[in-house]
Parts: sequence; structure tokens; C-alpha cells
Amino acid sequence: MYSPILRYVPLLLMLVFWQLLTVSGLVPPEMLPGPLTVAGALWDLIVSGELVTNAVRSLSRAAAGLVAAIVVGIAAGLFMATFRPFRLLVNPIVQIFYPMPKSALIPLVMIWFGLGDSSKIFLIFLGCLLPVIVSTYNGARGVNHFFRWSAASLGATKWEVLREVVIPAAMPDILAGCRTALAFSFILMVSSEFVIAKDGVGFLISSLGDSGTYPAMFAVIFTVAAAGFAADRLYAAFARNQLRWREP
Amino acid sequence: MTSAGDGNTTVKLPAEALQGQRTSSAYRLALGDAGVQAAVILFLCVLWETVTRLDLVHPFLLPPLSQVLQRLWEDILSGTVFVDLALTLYRALSGFFIAAAIAIPLGVLMSRSAALRWFFDPLISVGFPMPKIAFLPIFILWFDIFDTSKIIMVAFSCFFPIVTATFAGTSAVDKWPVWSARSLGAKDREVLWEVVLPLASPQIITGLQIALPVGMITTVVTEMLMGGRGIGGTMITAGRFADSVGVFTGIVEIAFLGFVVIRSLEYIRGRLLVWHPESRR
Amino acid sequence: MTMAAIQDRSHADSGTGIVIDGVSHSYGSRHGSGVLALDNINLDIRENEFHALLGPSGCGKSTLLYLIGGFIPIQQGTIATRKGKVTAPGPERSIVFQNFALFPWKTVLQNIVYGLKKQGIGAAEAESRAREFINLVQLKGFENAYPSQLSGGMQQRAAIARTLAVDPEILLMDEPFGALDAQTRRVMQEELRAIWQRSRKTVVFVTHDVHEAVFLADRISIMSARPGRIQHVIDVNLPQDRGEEILERPEFLELSERIWRLVREQAISASRGEH
Repeated sequence: MYSPILRYVPLLLMLVFWQLLTVSGLVPPEMLPGPLTVAGALWDLIVSGELVTNAVRSLSRAAAGLVAAIVVGIAAGLFMATFRPFRLLVNPIVQIFYPMPKSALIPLVMIWFGLGDSSKIFLIFLGCLLPVIVSTYNGARGVNHFFRWSAASLGATKWEVLREVVIPAAMPDILAGCRTALAFSFILMVSSEFVIAKDGVGFLISSLGDSGTYPAMFAVIFTVAAAGFAADRLYAAFARNQLRWREP
Repeated sequence: MTSAGDGNTTVKLPAEALQGQRTSSAYRLALGDAGVQAAVILFLCVLWETVTRLDLVHPFLLPPLSQVLQRLWEDILSGTVFVDLALTLYRALSGFFIAAAIAIPLGVLMSRSAALRWFFDPLISVGFPMPKIAFLPIFILWFDIFDTSKIIMVAFSCFFPIVTATFAGTSAVDKWPVWSARSLGAKDREVLWEVVLPLASPQIITGLQIALPVGMITTVVTEMLMGGRGIGGTMITAGRFADSVGVFTGIVEIAFLGFVVIRSLEYIRGRLLVWHPESRR
Repeated sequence: MTMAAIQDRSHADSGTGIVIDGVSHSYGSRHGSGVLALDNINLDIRENEFHALLGPSGCGKSTLLYLIGGFIPIQQGTIATRKGKVTAPGPERSIVFQNFALFPWKTVLQNIVYGLKKQGIGAAEAESRAREFINLVQLKGFENAYPSQLSGGMQQRAAIARTLAVDPEILLMDEPFGALDAQTRRVMQEELRAIWQRSRKTVVFVTHDVHEAVFLADRISIMSARPGRIQHVIDVNLPQDRGEEILERPEFLELSERIWRLVREQAISASRGEH
């Protein structure tokens, strides 16, 4: 096992390699600005407030779509697992749309909601919904019947069994589904802002690219990537905390 | 380091991220209900046609199913639908296979060499959760807007889940089968090909099953941004020209393509893993 | 060790505990064309007796237990307790399973408190009673451990505590020690017998281990497989207080030997029936 600092040495090495590559003149600077130039551009973007405003726009859309998808998805998944008619009704829809690449919905939300916020929120909602439904459904269906029987023999009602046994027992699956949804929310946020947007980080990246200000474009791209990484790490820590009981 | 599975791997995050991801293959239609489900689909189609015919929704927001099917038929007759499907499929699968060709060997090597593990593990565990699509403008800058940049973008997106799953799978192989093979006289290379890879294959295929949908999503986005036909390109053009029938036709096509591609991979998984307990259901 | 929490029922009359009347059960089909798991079971389990259901695997003994528990619907016949006909699970017939008994997301204390709260007992009182039962099964110091942090034997002790704590009239046990190693198993059997001596609950104990059945039970029902039928009901005439020394006694060995032969017959005919 390595200490955390030693562990990230390879990342540092890549940065040094990148800097050397640009200093050496082997690659034209307009194709690959050096890390120090990019850091400088990032600082300017932060100071001007441009990055923060756009990031807030983007993240609030992603959060709105994601939270709605998680709430609706968990409810629908549980309902499917416990109520057969609902399952029969919803299952074919899920079957058809689950494998569909969700980015194909971008033109659809454009037609339905125009180019504003609601189109992107709805896109992120739809894209994140299915992974949450499917993992909740699988988790709830997979709950060992001995758990349910134990609770029933201790006097729990059907509703209590759902709330106190099925949901906690399905929690590992539900949390895994939400993690997939989190990753999807970032992908769809950036994609939709590339294609249809007037603001947000995706729009910022493409407009910086169009105007040829590549150091700033690289700076925003790495910020978005870092935000996706940080969000996933935070979520993983939260999930691990929720699932402490699984650790021996 | 010849034996996989001494446990002390530094990647924690990806293995955990892979949990519950088997859902895509585990989620199956209960066969006994197939008739009911078909009836539900039929009912939804009839409902779609009826509400549009009765003008309950604006035809721009939801064009009648019959118009969508008619457009689809025209596209089939003119052959454009096949061009679009083929282009999208070509880009998605090229990127996917390039990613697999690099990621699977790298994952295996990482489980066998401490030096490679030391170098690549942090890069991969940082890259895994990043929204790779954000890097698209960089690839456009470097490789222009034609197929090269699209395929490289798709490969880049597919790479991380595959390498992560391969590394996790080959590192977690039980030592008992490996020891058994050794004691029967198998050499290192034989142990790898005949024991480690088969035992890790469920995980590796899971990685492929996560990567392929990501690759399809990415393909569609690249087509929307850079044009060059494909379903994504055709759909965004339809969207820009407010051709809602065209958008819905595109959705039908892409849903079909996604369904076929993902089900094919599930089928291949079933064929490759006949020996695995998961197939006995 | 605290015993206040367990009601002393040793003076109660030994009336009828569970009446199983003409119960049949088949799997695989709703219309009876499936595998017949239980065929016309008639059995009276006395109140306060320790009754073992013994038989080869696949004889339907667990199915019979689940029917008594009310976990699976009764297809044919009736099962009745003092509370009336069994239709659903209830806290007067509490169960301990072989595995998956405890909720892994709750600590030992939370698991036991859970059952007590379901009986409408307030939080403070539930917790103090839970602690008494934790002491009873000798898990003091592990109140806040999650099941995954405990050994198999400790998990089963906690599960037994959770079930005893709700003070069921009938205690159902589905091979509770089946997953434990031989030594732990022996210790648990002695502890269970001692706990039963004090609490005198009606116990229905499913096992395929002849020694376990003879050591623990007052009566043993020997079941046959495919279809599951009760072949013999045998009284165990051994002293009420049973410790390790009883395993050496000639009457224990003799009875075990006799029952072993009966079970072996069933097992052989069952394995023939498969082909």
C-alpha cells in the first residue's frame, strides 16, 4: 500500500510531462497550451466570475434533473417491485427505453421545451430516471424473503416491511443506481449545453473553442472533469457511510 | 508478481462503482408475462395515435404514430435509414473495439505488474468518474470534425469502464483454481489464458456492457455536434428545422439500434458464460 | 444472567400447542400438478413441548415450518394454534432461520429493539429489555456490533435473543445451527436446551441431524421425502436437564441409533425415488 501522496505521483508526472512537451516546442502551443498557461487562464476565469456563474447554472440544472429522477425513480422502482399491475404496465416501457442512448433525446427536449433551462432539466431527468428505476426494482425484487419473513413474524405490517426491510436491504442497489445516474447527469449536462444552450459550462467550453481561446477552453474542460470526479468521490463517501453495516 | 489476486490492489473506487452494474443484464422480461407486455405496448401505440388524432396534443409536440411510421417507411425505401444506422454503428463499435483492445490487455498487465499498477491506477481511478464528453472540443481541435475525432472520443469514453473492470476481475481471481492449475503443471502463460481470463470474464464482460451504452451516448453527441450524418446528425438537423416527425423517427431508429446492440451483447454474454452459475436461471 | 424477562410457564398445563390437520402442499404449479412436498400431514404439537421435525433434505420439513409460521399460504388442510387458524405471520409464532436471520443493516441491539417495538413497547423499555436478552445469550459487549462483525454462532445467538424477546408462545426454528461448526453447534444446543428449560415455550425445531434432535427434543417426528409424510413420532425419554454428559448415556446412544436407522431408510428410499 502506498501513502496517499505517493499514490498520486503519477498524476504529477503527467503534469510535468505535459509542461515539458509544451516547453520543448514539439507540439504547437495553440494545439496544447501548457499546464501553467491553462492555470493562468483558469485564474482569470475565476476572477472575472465567468466560470462561477456558468458553473452555478449548469450544476443547478444537473441537480434539479438528478434529484427529480432519484425521487421518482426510487418510488417507481419500489412500486414496480411490489405491485404487479404497475410492473406489467411500466416494464415494457423500461425495456424499450433502457438501452436507448439518452443523448438522442436532446432534439426531443428541444422541440418540447425550446432552448431554455427546462429542456436540459427534463433531459437530465429522463436520462437519470431509468438507471434508478431499474436498480431500485432489481434491489427490491432481490431482497431475501427470509428478511421479510423475519420482520413479519416479529409483527411488522406490509407497509412496515417495505419501509423497514425492503428499502434498507435494497439500499446497496439503489445507491449504485444513483451513482450511475450521477455520472449520467454530468454527461447529459455537458452534452446538452454543447448542443443547445446560451450559458453553462458546456456553452462556455464551446464558445471559448469557437473564439480560439484554447487555454481558457482547456481550463474549463479540466474544471468540469474535476467537478465530475469530486461529485463522484463525495457521493461514494456518502454511500459508504450509508452502508457501514456491510463492512466487517 | 505472477499470480493475480494477492488482494492488495489500490483501486477501491472502481470495483465498488461496478457493483450493481450487472443490472442491465439481470433485468429481464418475465417470459410468462410476455403476452401481457406485448398487449401493453400495442395499447400504448394505439393510445399515441388516438390522442394525436383527437388533437389532444399539438401535433408538433407529438406527431401521430402513423406519420412517424410513414416517414420511417420512406427512409427505409430511400435507404437513408440504413446509411444513418450503419454510420452510427460503425463509429460506436470502432471506438468500442479500439478501447477494448487497449483496455483489456492493460487491465490484465496491471493486475500482474506492480509498476504498471502504481502508474496507471491513480490515472484510471481519477479518469473513471470524469464526464469524458467534456474533452470533446480538445479532440475536435486535434483531429478535426471527421470520423477520427468521433471514434477517438468514443474510444476514450469506453476505455475507463473496461480497464477498471478487467483490472478488478483479474485481480480478484481466487487463488484455488490458480494453484490447482499450477499443481497440474500449467505454466504462467497457460494459467493466464486458461484460468485467470476465463474466471475474470464475467467482470470483463460487465465492463464491456457498461462501456457500450456509454459509447453509444457519446457517438450520438459527437454526431449532433460535428454533423456527418449518422442518427445523431440527422436528428439534430430535424430538430433545428423544427421537423418533429423527423425527430420522433430518429428516436424510433436509435431505440431500435440501442435495443439490438445491447441485447446482442447480453446474448454473447450468455453464450460465453454458459459455465457460469448466472446462466442457470 | 437475567431471567426476569422470560415468563415462567413451566407450571402451565400441557394442552395443545399446534394442531396440524390434513395439510398437503405442492410446489411448481397452482393446480396441483407440481411436486407434492407435503402429503396429508396430521400432527398435534403439545403446548410447551420441544418438538423436532427430522428428515432427509427435500422431505418438506422446512415447508411445514413455513406453513406453521404463516409465511406461505396453506393450500389444503388447516393449522391452528390457541390464537386460532394460521393465515399470516404473527408475533406469537416467531421464527429463527438458518441464515439471514438478523437484519445486517441494524446492530445487535437495534435488531432486538426492532422486534420489541413492533409489539408496541416504548423505546426506553424496549432497549432495557433488549439488553437483558443480550445478557441472556451472552453477547454483552457486542450490543453495537453489526451482524457482519460477528461470528456465525454469535449471530445466531443474537437472532435467538431477538425472537425470544418478543415472547412468542411458539418458537419456530429452521435448522438454526446448520451453518455453524461442530463445536459451536454443540455449545449452542446446550444453551438452547437450557434457555428452553427456563422459558418452556412450544418449540418446533427443524433439523436433519439425528443427535441434535435427540439431544434437544421431547418428541421427534420423522418425515419421509417425496411426498413428505410423517412416518413416526417418537418420544424422547431422557432427563429434562440435559448436559454434555447425556451424550455418553446408553439410552441416548440407543435411541439415536434407532432413529438413525429410520431416517436412513427414508433417505435411501428417497434417493431411489429420484431416478
